[in-house]
Amino acid sequence: MAEVRLENVWKIYDNKVEAVKDANLTVEDKEFVVLLGPSGCGKTTTLRMIAGLEEITRGKIYIDERVVNDVEPKDRDIAMVFQNYALYPHMTVYENMAFGLKLRKFPKDEIDRRVKEAARILGIEQLLDRKPRQLSGGQRQRVAVGRAIVRDPKVFLFDEPLSNLDAKLRVQMRSELKKLHHRLEATIIYVTHDQVEAMTMANKIVVIRDGRIQQIGDPYTIYNKPANIFVAGFIGSPPMNFINAKIVRGEGGLWVQASGFKVKVPKDFEDSLAGWIDKDVIFGIRPENVYDKMFAFAPKEENTVRGMVDVVEPLGSETILHVKVGDDMITAKVDPKTKAQENQEMDLVFDMDAMHVFDPESEKAII
Amino acid sequence: MKKILFHAFAIILVTVWLFPFMVTLFTSFKTMDNLMTSRSWWLPPKVWHTENYLKAWKDANMSRYFLNTFIITIPAVLGTLFLSSLGAFALSWYRFKFSKVILMIFVGGMLVPFQMLLIPVYRLSIQLGIYNTYWGVILFHIAFQIGFCTFFLRNFMKTIPASIFDAAMIDGAKHFTIYSKIVLPLTVPALAALGILEFTWIWNDYLWSLILIQSDKYKPITLGLATLQGEWVTQWNTMAAGSIIAAVVPLVVFLMFQRYFIEGLTAGSVKG
Repeated sequence: MAEVRLENVWKIYDNKVEAVKDANLTVEDKEFVVLLGPSGCGKTTTLRMIAGLEEITRGKIYIDERVVNDVEPKDRDIAMVFQNYALYPHMTVYENMAFGLKLRKFPKDEIDRRVKEAARILGIEQLLDRKPRQLSGGQRQRVAVGRAIVRDPKVFLFDEPLSNLDAKLRVQMRSELKKLHHRLEATIIYVTHDQVEAMTMANKIVVIRDGRIQQIGDPYTIYNKPANIFVAGFIGSPPMNFINAKIVRGEGGLWVQASGFKVKVPKDFEDSLAGWIDKDVIFGIRPENVYDKMFAFAPKEENTVRGMVDVVEPLGSETILHVKVGDDMITAKVDPKTKAQENQEMDLVFDMDAMHVFDPESEKAII
Repeated sequence: MKKILFHAFAIILVTVWLFPFMVTLFTSFKTMDNLMTSRSWWLPPKVWHTENYLKAWKDANMSRYFLNTFIITIPAVLGTLFLSSLGAFALSWYRFKFSKVILMIFVGGMLVPFQMLLIPVYRLSIQLGIYNTYWGVILFHIAFQIGFCTFFLRNFMKTIPASIFDAAMIDGAKHFTIYSKIVLPLTVPALAALGILEFTWIWNDYLWSLILIQSDKYKPITLGLATLQGEWVTQWNTMAAGSIIAAVVPLVVFLMFQRYFIEGLTAGSVKG
């Protein structure tokens, strides 16, 4: 197993489109790294460069301390699972899985042993004689994974492997892939635009936007300490509330002053905000940190805001409220037993310890 | 009402289409006397004479011409398919400079009227020393069919998802392995359709053989038939028998493979 390192990697196409800009990333041995970003952000291009399917314009890619820029895909000791599975339609499941081993001149009984072992792990033993078109989407997915694991490569590359599956199967495959990662102790680089996949499976998430890496961190950090507005807004559903505000000095310390409310900044954050007094900032708070006052833990005057309920969306396990406060619309994820009704006033309580403040110019996080 | 009209139209079409063929078939079973004296040339013979076929096969040298056609057609078809599938593979999958231009040349070549090329081809074949040989006809057949076949196969191969090529590359396949183990098997329907089409075309060719072959030894059946045309009297019944012999092979080939033919012309290679 192996470490993958990207050093100042650029991909610029002939038409001058910069798909990947100055990527620096280390994927450690046995790590499950997810490249996350909206479509067209360069995450798949990055993966294809690691695979050797795409040339690197500038920079270096290392696999196990060896520069692989000019190494053919087949000599990089990687395996890849594609979004549309890319099974060979004219071969049986067995032949699909054995193809790579045959080309590498493995002895017949070794191929047989590995294919059967992989089939057993993935629960597709009874499908070995079938052709891909006779399989369901989930089964094809398993075969595609099987084709990768028989090779026992240094690095596994996954390109949105679950995006063609239905929602239920996706949840199941998600946990299976996670288990597989533990079982194989493999180094995995996984591309997705689905933040839930990223949060649930990754040891490390790499958030990419417009070809540039925005933040690298474990799921906890990415969620709780987003580096900028993009990351903060991309992770979490419904997305974080962003409100134009000012930091002002007031009774007992610093306050966040928005168009329709004023809330107190906790003491711990005052130092970081010292340079921002009387300046414009963007105040951020996640919907799950906004409570219905009736169910809030220790509501206080200083973190309560009053607004007009615009829309109520009950989801069963929780209820999403869209509440108009001043000029701003605030989304709150509240207890489903809430009494909130549309076009009525209600009190919302902010958990100010979970607040975020961003620089409106650079969009970088201040806290 | 619509149905009746459709059937009426279809019957008229089929009759017009088959009429010459049926008359040829009837003629081939008649004696020369019968043909000369009877005015009802469109009617089936009263007595069916099979000796015309024997005569055409043996005395008129049809057996030799028949064999020659096979010797020319089979390598020409296989050569065309092999070379055009290689070209199509490169043009459909690899990104390189001038690939568009090369494809345009293949397509453009189809548009050049071949009458213009008769004399140059004749002179070229003499200069290359392949005039009046099997090789000459075979090579020129391949050269003239390759444009269309490459174009057709390239479009077919374009429907194979790129990720399959990627997967094969990562699996460790070399370029020729991808061609032979992945692309060719997936292109079988198109190859079968083209094979039948090319087989019929080359089998029925008259012009190129006329230009490139002189001696009876190498003449294909289409040229051979022409030799049956006498200076004063043409043995219509023998010639008809010869024509039927010539037509039987492509007909059988087509009937045997027509399923692939229709599929290959319409279907893409991979679904889902």
